[in-house]
Amino acid sequence: MSFSQVARSLSRSANVFRTGRILTGAVRPQVRMIHQNFAPLVASNQNQVSLWQLQSTRLYSAKPPLNLKLIEERVILVLNLYDKIDPSKLKVESHFINDLGLDSLDHVEVIMAMEDEFGFEIPDSDAEKLLKPADIIRYVADKEDVYE
Amino acid sequence: MSLPTGITSHARQVCSLYKRSLRNLEAWYDRRHIYRYRAVILRKRFDDNKTVSDMRTASELLAAGEKELFETQHFQPKKFANSPGGCAYAREVIPPDWVLDYWHPLEKAAYPEYFARREKRKEEFVTWWEKTYGKPDAKDLGHH
Repeated sequence: MSFSQVARSLSRSANVFRTGRILTGAVRPQVRMIHQNFAPLVASNQNQVSLWQLQSTRLYSAKPPLNLKLIEERVILVLNLYDKIDPSKLKVESHFINDLGLDSLDHVEVIMAMEDEFGFEIPDSDAEKLLKPADIIRYVADKEDVYE
Repeated sequence: MSLPTGITSHARQVCSLYKRSLRNLEAWYDRRHIYRYRAVILRKRFDDNKTVSDMRTASELLAAGEKELFETQHFQPKKFANSPGGCAYAREVIPPDWVLDYWHPLEKAAYPEYFARREKRKEEFVTWWEKTYGKPDAKDLGHH
């Protein structure tokens, strides 16, 4: 390393120390991403509300690491918000068409909602086999290489 | 695992048309509430013809729907980035695990600890497989 390189790297690190705000931002990276209004909400009931439920925008640069429980939560939340499904009847093992009374076009809408939620396309040949929430969870987990 | 053969039932084709039409609407109307309004109208049009039992009329309706979709298709449809047709599809190539087994012995020698553990894990996997599924049949081994 030549002398000029050393001098440059020193001046760069000095710049970082001069601006204290960058350091404080780096300490709490997750809280920093949330809008100021949401910050007290997150702090107060952190165990009930997950971070992804508060984000109004999608950041496609990197995803939080998924696990099976998180996938299940997200799938069930999307299904609960669908107005043709009765949340009280909904279970992981309930059949969309037989148990929940959806028709095939509703099933297409459910699959599209799952595509939007997880950000990848589900081809028709796979979609016709995803007839239970459990199937969707399994499919998403396989697609994202999540096994536990 | 299923191969897309292209031969599907009428109901599947209608579902596929419905999905593509919704995605087309989504591409045209980027305001969510306007898209929802159009989507509800589209759903009504599909539901109106739900009870058509005459197969000839039904396939005519399907063909008309496909034609309408073709004529109103968006010039720049939205695609998921990592799905076929998307801008980042297959951009990141992750080499499969077995590539490591084909490294040159001299290359492997640079990481002795890792490859020793890898060999051990492979042996463990083989014993696990044989315990779960039984010994492989002799005629299944080797090339065909």
